[in-house]
Amino acid sequence: MSMTNRQKENIGFVIRLIIALIFISPLFICLVFSFVPDEKLFAVPTIKTIVSNLTGRNYIEILKEMPVFMYVKTSLVLAIIVIVMQLTISSLAAYAFAYMKFRFKNFWFTLILVAMMVPGQVVTITNFITVRDFGLLNTYLGLTIVSFAGGRSLFMMRQSFLSLPMEMKEAATLDGCGDFRYLVHFAVPLSLPSIASVSILLFIGEFNSYLWPILVARKPQLYTIQIGMASMVDDTATPRYGKMMAVAVMSLVVPLLAFLIGEDYLISGMTKGAIKG
Amino acid sequence: MRSKSENGFNWLALLFVSPVIIFLTVFTFYPFVRSIVMTFFVTDSLGNPGMFVGLRIWKKVLSSSEFKVSLGTTFKYSLAKGVLTFCLAMLMAFLCTKKTKRSKVYQTMFALPIAIASAPICAIVTYVFCRYGVFNAITGRTEAWLALSKARFWIIVLSSVWSSSGSSFIYLLVGFRNVPDELIECANLDGCGPVRRFFQIFIPIASPQIFFVIFLNILSAFKGFAIIKILVGNVEAPEVTTLILKLYQYAFVRDRYEIACVYGLILAVVIFVVSRIQFMVEKKVVFYQ
Repeated sequence: MSMTNRQKENIGFVIRLIIALIFISPLFICLVFSFVPDEKLFAVPTIKTIVSNLTGRNYIEILKEMPVFMYVKTSLVLAIIVIVMQLTISSLAAYAFAYMKFRFKNFWFTLILVAMMVPGQVVTITNFITVRDFGLLNTYLGLTIVSFAGGRSLFMMRQSFLSLPMEMKEAATLDGCGDFRYLVHFAVPLSLPSIASVSILLFIGEFNSYLWPILVARKPQLYTIQIGMASMVDDTATPRYGKMMAVAVMSLVVPLLAFLIGEDYLISGMTKGAIKG
Repeated sequence: MRSKSENGFNWLALLFVSPVIIFLTVFTFYPFVRSIVMTFFVTDSLGNPGMFVGLRIWKKVLSSSEFKVSLGTTFKYSLAKGVLTFCLAMLMAFLCTKKTKRSKVYQTMFALPIAIASAPICAIVTYVFCRYGVFNAITGRTEAWLALSKARFWIIVLSSVWSSSGSSFIYLLVGFRNVPDELIECANLDGCGPVRRFFQIFIPIASPQIFFVIFLNILSAFKGFAIIKILVGNVEAPEVTTLILKLYQYAFVRDRYEIACVYGLILAVVIFVVSRIQFMVEKKVVFYQ
């Protein structure tokens, strides 16, 4: 008896689904153990100890001593500041490079390309000194200012502007529409897919950033969720695994939602212009 | 088209470009030059340059054994991470080459690590590999794995592999999906099996993406900080103390900014050299349609 194509396809789907579930099993482990009390995790877990002890206590107790939601809020605010600033700055420059003629255009363009080659980690130390000397430690501005300019978003916006029909720009110019108005009323609204891609890339990147925030955010009121999470992992003297998993779950909700909502834009943003061919 | 630039300055264009130029100057070019300058001076605990010492700090760092160990560690870690991420992502992308109505379900799951930050990954790993963790529950062992240096190295590699496999998967998937359906059908008609199909059709057509992913992972491992830092904590762990960790320790734990800058610049040189190699090899091995 041979299988129909339909059956073959179903089996293929189930096999792939199982492999994918195994691949993301760390997340299930995290979720399950976030509902097991800490003291039950000081022995090798068995299915029985897990199932018979499920409780929401970890969440309630850790929220009393650790302002997890405040940390998440800080991360969110930082991500939004970076997205707004970088999109604004990049759109302006991208417009100039796409449509305008000006002196040393190629030089400025090359300069931006060169800047993109400098790894951010290498300038971290000196940037830290600069930000400290500006008195920006422990401020939202200090946490975000180094990410205001970004080559990648500039190139993505420029690509998007260049793909708009040239006739539209010419017609608008003939009708007396100036560059700034054209940018705000036509170029930007017509580039929403690219803006979405840039935003989701920056959002996930900023939400995950760790090195810069631990340097600049020295007081707990400005801790990001990554700092809060990491401080708990590093507290090896009194490991509280259940509560740790609860914080991990809470820290994952926002970026996972953003990923699921913006997946298509994220993927197009990642692959657009990243690879030739 | 009207252009204001023909006789003179286009002020508006300059206004549009200036923010990005200013920010890149202040936070990329200036700090880069400043960190070069700093390596020629002994700095105080705030990072202000004091006495000029020429190349003495460079000589001291380059001849120290901790630097050599750290450089070796960086390459070992990067290579392990690069190769393993690539293999895992290849496998996942190959499973997803065929686009069906339901393929988006497992595709999304394979891409999911993109959204997951290093700190929660470290939290999960810390629990899974602790003395009473899931790993020991499954294998029946009793070790606290993160306290063993060799196991710790591989746990850190594994965590970074998982963390970057999502994005590598996406890049490779785009490459595999570039293979035209007709080509696969032709190959099937000619009696070409799955293994041959993989090596003679998918790999050549996806070669730009494959190549990109290999180097992407090696380069990102050079810069990988969070996972190592969080999993190691404040313990001395030379087996995972890469250049970027040295940079962090010298600058922000020991307040020796000038030494940290030397490590940073060496890291920049390593990254630059590897990117040049990528650029040169790409022309020879990558097949463009």
